[in-house]
Amino acid sequence: MNIFTSKIYLDNVEVIAIIVIIISVLVFASTLFYVWGLLKPTADLKELKTRTNSWWAMAALIILTSLVHPALSFIAFGLLSFVALRELASISKNVRDEDRRVIIWCYLAIPIQYFIAYKGWFNIFVIFIPVFMFVWIPFMLVIRGATTEIGRSMSVLPTQLMLTVFSLSHLAYLLSLPNLEGFHAGGRGLLLFVVFLTEINDVFQFIWGKLFGKNKILPKISPNKTWEGFIGGILSTTILAYFLRFLTPFTGIEALIIGFCIANAGFVGDIIISAVKRDIGIKDTGLLIPGHGGILDRIDSLSLSAPTFFYIVYNLYYAG
Amino acid sequence: MRGLFLGILYGVGIRSFLKVIVGVKYLNREALKKEKQFIIVSNHNSHIDTLAIMGALPIGQVQHVHPIAAGDYFGSSKFKAGITQLFTNAILIRRSKNTEAPNPIELMSAAITKGESLILFPEGSRGTPGKMQEFKKGIGILLQMHPELFFIPIYMKGMGKVLPKGERLLVPFDTYVHFGNPRKCKATEVETIVKEIEEAILELN
Repeated sequence: MNIFTSKIYLDNVEVIAIIVIIISVLVFASTLFYVWGLLKPTADLKELKTRTNSWWAMAALIILTSLVHPALSFIAFGLLSFVALRELASISKNVRDEDRRVIIWCYLAIPIQYFIAYKGWFNIFVIFIPVFMFVWIPFMLVIRGATTEIGRSMSVLPTQLMLTVFSLSHLAYLLSLPNLEGFHAGGRGLLLFVVFLTEINDVFQFIWGKLFGKNKILPKISPNKTWEGFIGGILSTTILAYFLRFLTPFTGIEALIIGFCIANAGFVGDIIISAVKRDIGIKDTGLLIPGHGGILDRIDSLSLSAPTFFYIVYNLYYAG
Repeated sequence: MRGLFLGILYGVGIRSFLKVIVGVKYLNREALKKEKQFIIVSNHNSHIDTLAIMGALPIGQVQHVHPIAAGDYFGSSKFKAGITQLFTNAILIRRSKNTEAPNPIELMSAAITKGESLILFPEGSRGTPGKMQEFKKGIGILLQMHPELFFIPIYMKGMGKVLPKGERLLVPFDTYVHFGNPRKCKATEVETIVKEIEEAILELN
C-alpha cells in the first residue's frame, strides 16, 4: 500500500499538529527577530533573518506541495536538488572547461533519481547514483578524451551528485514508504520530523554557542562553532525528538537515539559544506553575488541528516 | 499584437526559463524602469547575453528595444535574418565596409531619433569568456550624436560558461546580470566616451 492511495492527507491529527507547530515557531521567530532588530538596531541579525526566511520557504514548499498533489513534492525536491547542484557546479574550481557537457549528465540524473523515489523502487534507488552514476560519469569523461587531471573530475562530479541529489532524494523517498499498521502520520510525519529537527538543531547550536560558546571546535573550518554550542544543540535536539515522536513509529528510547543521530549528522553535513567552501575560498555559497547566501548554505545539514535518518528508519521499520 | 507577443515571449517565457533552468540572477533590474529611452551597453560572451537582457525588460518595453546584431552572422541567409527579426526585433548591421549595406551608425541613429531603445555590445564579438575586448568606436560616435540619450551599463558574468562561442549545448550554471543605473555621458570626444562606458561596465564587476 502506498501512502498516495489515501485521498485526504490532512485527516491525521499528528501532521496537522506539526504544521501548526512549525508555523507558530516561524511566526514567533520572525516576530522575535523583527522586534529585536527594532530594539537593538546594532545587533547583527542578518544570518538569523535569512535563515528564518528560508525556513518559511521550505515549510511552505513541504506543506503546500503535499496539499495540492503528492507528486508535486517530488518535483519540488527535485528542483531543490537541481538548484543546489547547479550552485555547487558553478562555484567549483575543480571542474575543467572540458567537463561542461558531462555536467549535463549530472543534471539528467536528478529527474531519474526522483522518479525512482516516486515509484518507490528501493533497490534501484540506493544504487543508481552511488554505483551507476559513479561509473557512468567517469565513462562519459573518458570518451570526451581530455585526460589531463581527469581523475579529479572523476571524483568531483559524482561527489557533487551525492551531496546535492542522492542526499536530498531521501527526503522525497520518505513519502513513498508504505503505510505501517497503527502509525498514522506516515511518510509525511517522518519528513516533517527530520526536517524540523535538523533545522532546529542549527538554531539550538547557534543559540547555545552565542550564550555559552568559548572553546572553538573546528577553528580552521567554521570559526563560529564551539563545543558548547555543539553539545548544547545535540542535547536540546535529542530531548525535542523525544517529544516529537508522535510523528513517528518510534518508542521513547528510539526517538532519543535517532534525535541524537540527526543532530550529529546535521553538524557533520554542515562542516563538510563549510570545508568545501573554504577550499573554494568563499564564505557564502552564493559566491557569484557577494553577501547573498546560496541554497547550499540552507541544505548543508539536511544533506547528511536526511540519509542518516532514512536508513535508520528504513532498517528499523520498513525492511524485510 | 507583435508587442504583446514579444512582451510575453520575453517577459514571461524566456525570463522564467533563464531564471529557473539556466540560473540567471538579475541585480538592480529596476534600472531598466527608470527611463523610457536608453541604450544598453554590455560585455559580450555568449548568444545567451541578448536573451538575458531582453528577458529582463519590462513587458511593455520589449518591442521598443532593438538588439544590434551582426548582419554577416544573423543575416547570412534570408531565413536566418527573418527568424532573427521576427523573434528579437534586431537591427542587423554590417561589420565590414565592403558590402553595400547601409552605414550602421546611420541605422542606429535613425532608430534613436524615432524614440527606440538599443542593445549594443561594444566589444563587437563574443570573445573569450571572462575577458573583455577593446571596445569599438561606434558607441562613442552614436552617443556623441545623441548626448541627451541615457545609457545603461551592464556587466554579465558566467554566460560564457552556459553557452560558449562555438558550442551548441546549453549547460545551466549560476550567472548574473548586473544593471547599472541609467546615466548620460559626461565626455564629449568619441574616445573618451568609449572609455567612460567601458569603465561604467567594469565598475559593475
